Amino acid sequence: MAGDWREEAQALWDRAGKQKSSESKVKLLEEAVRMADSHGDVDLGYQLRDDLIDAATFGGYPDKALVAFAWCRGQQKKDPERFEPEGLLWKQKWVVGRIKEFPHISRKQITDALDDIEQCFTKVDAGKRSALKLRYQTARDMGDDAAEVDRLWAAWLAAPRDHLTDCRACELDDELDHHVEQGEWEQALRKAKPILEGRVRCAEIPHLTLGTLLYPLFKLGELERAAEMHRRGYGLTSKNRDFLATMGDHIEFLALTGNLARGLALLEKHLEWTLDHGSFNDRFVFLVAATFLLERVKAAGDRDVVSLRLTKAFPEHRADGGYEVKALHAWMLKQARDIATRFDTRNGTDRYARRLARIQRLAEEVREFPLD
Amino acid sequence: MPRPPSHRNLEKNPPGGSFSARAVPWANVGTAVDHRFQVSLRGVIDLLSHHLYSSPGVYLRELLQNATDAIRARQHLEPEHKGTVRLELVEKQDGGPPTLVFSDDGVGLTEEEIHRFLATIGESSKREALEDRRKDFIGQFGIGLLSCFMVCDELLLVTRSARGDGRTLEWRGRHDGTYAVQVSEHPLERPGTQVFLVARADMVEWFAPERLRQLGRHYGGLLPFPIQLTIGAEQERLDLDGAPWRRDYESAGERRKAMLEYGREVFETDFIDCIPLRSQAGDVDGVAFVLPASPHFNSKQKHRVYLKHMLLSESAENLLPEWAFFVKCVVNANALRPTASRESFYEDGALAQAREALGHGLRKYLVDLAHEDPRALQRLIGLHGLSIKALALDDDDFYRLVIGWLPFETSLGVTTLAEYRRAYPVVRFAATLDGFRQVARVAGAQGLCIINAAYTHDAALLEKLPHVVEGAQVEPFSAADLPQSFEELSMDERDAVFPLSRMAEQVLAPFHCGVVVKKFFPAEVPTLYSADEEGSFRRDAERARDESDDLYASVLEGVMAAAGGEPAQLCFNLHNPVVRRLAAVTDRTLMKLSVEMLYVQALLLGQHPLNAQEMTLLNQGLLGLISAQLGTGGSGGGENDGGVGSGGLH
Repeated sequence: MAGDWREEAQALWDRAGKQKSSESKVKLLEEAVRMADSHGDVDLGYQLRDDLIDAATFGGYPDKALVAFAWCRGQQKKDPERFEPEGLLWKQKWVVGRIKEFPHISRKQITDALDDIEQCFTKVDAGKRSALKLRYQTARDMGDDAAEVDRLWAAWLAAPRDHLTDCRACELDDELDHHVEQGEWEQALRKAKPILEGRVRCAEIPHLTLGTLLYPLFKLGELERAAEMHRRGYGLTSKNRDFLATMGDHIEFLALTGNLARGLALLEKHLEWTLDHGSFNDRFVFLVAATFLLERVKAAGDRDVVSLRLTKAFPEHRADGGYEVKALHAWMLKQARDIATRFDTRNGTDRYARRLARIQRLAEEVREFPLD
Repeated sequence: MPRPPSHRNLEKNPPGGSFSARAVPWANVGTAVDHRFQVSLRGVIDLLSHHLYSSPGVYLRELLQNATDAIRARQHLEPEHKGTVRLELVEKQDGGPPTLVFSDDGVGLTEEEIHRFLATIGESSKREALEDRRKDFIGQFGIGLLSCFMVCDELLLVTRSARGDGRTLEWRGRHDGTYAVQVSEHPLERPGTQVFLVARADMVEWFAPERLRQLGRHYGGLLPFPIQLTIGAEQERLDLDGAPWRRDYESAGERRKAMLEYGREVFETDFIDCIPLRSQAGDVDGVAFVLPASPHFNSKQKHRVYLKHMLLSESAENLLPEWAFFVKCVVNANALRPTASRESFYEDGALAQAREALGHGLRKYLVDLAHEDPRALQRLIGLHGLSIKALALDDDDFYRLVIGWLPFETSLGVTTLAEYRRAYPVVRFAATLDGFRQVARVAGAQGLCIINAAYTHDAALLEKLPHVVEGAQVEPFSAADLPQSFEELSMDERDAVFPLSRMAEQVLAPFHCGVVVKKFFPAEVPTLYSADEEGSFRRDAERARDESDDLYASVLEGVMAAAGGEPAQLCFNLHNPVVRRLAAVTDRTLMKLSVEMLYVQALLLGQHPLNAQEMTLLNQGLLGLISAQLGTGGSGGGENDGGVGSGGLH
């Protein structure tokens, strides 16, 4: 057994190599990493984690990506000859980009991580644009002063592209978030054109975009187009927990258009991801949408109990599958509120409270558009 | 038939002709009064060859596309018109570059249309513009013709329109952007178009007979009219006389044989079966071939797709549902939209519906197998289990049909779920490999059979069982569940091990590890360490923290503080002789050391890598044990070192 651990680790690695980013790929690589660590094989541990960072990032485990990155980074700092720094810089963007989504990481630590990535990039004389985008997104998502957020937005777009800049598709998609945030629906749709026409794309685009644009289209009254994007977008994202927040976009759209049964089907299927997802931001987005959906079910008033096959991991799980709408709604709202409080306390702002309050506005915008 | 142009001809007669033509760039064309931008033809050709086309061989595809469009347009006027495309290769006796004469009997071009396609070319200096132009007949015609400049420096186009005045027109163009238009001195007898291409010296290979044959078959094999290739006295047809899957065959067996033969030709693979495909949405039909081995990557298969019978792509990916990666297919679509790169279809409603319909066809094939030839389905599951599992996950009826036949790895070997359920009333599975490893050895001795559901789809499939199959019982199982099935201690035993369990609790508290003492088999196992997923993740984070720099170590502290989950647990086995003797030891230091070493050993056996703190424990513990042994005179650890049946507690 001890003799062939390498073969076993290699077999796990091969198996992982045949899979797309997913829970099972992450588990296989983690297992192989543990074997390498058990036998003190630092090189193998590094290479495996290099893959694990990718699989975890694109498979919906940002916390695992962070842990794997931190280990690699330690090795790389100890022995820069053996582990060349450039390779890790690209991935550092992913990690730093999500660090704000863990409410237990302090503002100081987030600022330090941003300063640090800027220094790392400066050392190789590149990555200015990437660093600015991270600063912009972090400031925006933490609810920082609007003038500062605007300044960073402008600085990001003005900075030159280079080899550390994200692909065209990702950058464009990130730009859309800004316009949606500002309520600039038409501008968002105009800019999204190359993505929607399939001219620019990547591993996560148009998957994310199709969710992002649901609300703008809804606001513009283009419901037929929105419905089409819901169908396309959901199909692309429903198998990967990396798209938890996008599930929130879809549930919100279904609730807004009165497709409550469809909305509940999504809630039933994806609640599991919310229970242990590393990104509390993505949990929050999902929970807010779920709260809004259940509010609509309550408002419809024709049933007090809904039948759902919820995961056993759900703390209020019921074997008979009958859930009281009121209780379920209260649970979602409480979770969302708790997360909002944690974020707002950490950030020293009220952005999450405001995002939660948005539900009330949504309730006034509901417009029936049956998909069935 | 006009004679093909020679280099000399064109050089001697500089552009200029009977009407409208001047020796000017494309831009200031003909009779048009409005001014146009000047455009460098070189630049456009360069753009085409470097960005739009993957290989110079594409020129033949473009010519075929033009001919197809022209024949369709003529059929619009004359529904009975059949259409024929002819390729004639004229090789020079003096070894000079060969000429290809490419003719169709399509609708032909009028003078006005010639000017329009020239104008189109002038405007097409951007890739997007090029793509837009392709959407109309004339635009496509001009762009298609341009691609010929990838392989030749001069072109002669002779055309007679079915809609015109009966004149035959000639257009001569050169790669430098000069051209001439005139009424031909060699009128065509019937409407149609001929293109004469004189191979450029460095592109002669694209005119080799074998290459022409291969390109013609490749791009135009499915076209619904004859494509004749003439080389010297030899004539042959390059088209397949319609799609093979639409032909009538004497019997189902004949059809199958012919299809598999066709599949071998297209993909160079010996497939094990073929499945007809048909979708009203997108007007799609074709055939899917079942791969003889499970694909290397669970990624999407690359299919060969034709758009209106012209080859569109050999690497279309998005045509079938995600689960259907056990087949490769050849299809023709008449009403799907290609993407700009022309590599696959645009993701729209029509494609989604077509995908669903094609998926239904594949599913029906599997369902029919289940009813008519279960053995064949089982073989298929053996080869393509992953594909079948993916479908079962999404489709309750299909799930019910196949779930019993799906193979799972268990602590007692591989078995189908039906066999498993016959032997065990409750389906127990470990959702991670780590978890499975922790329990596999011990579970067997408890008479438990645990499924290793760490692999793709397995856990989700098993969790689905009680929802779909009435009365089925399914339980996730982890090492932490094992002690529940272990034998409890008697009151006396509890008293006897009390000092040991108290000591162990103290020692292991800093390691987030609790302690229980029970009795279980096999007796050789002294302890069983169990941690849930969060626990394993916490251990990973601890090691990363130990290795990382200050910034990320502090970040990880935050991550660990938030990690939930149950604490890990170390279960001592009182059936184990060493544990029995340890419980009776009175030397507190020795007991502490022993507990620490058992803990580290349990971690190592379970393949849990040690963090820095545990590594220190191991190093100090080894030294401590050695020195303890030396201190007692090195007599070698008791009479028989804890063999079976020995020990101080009976």
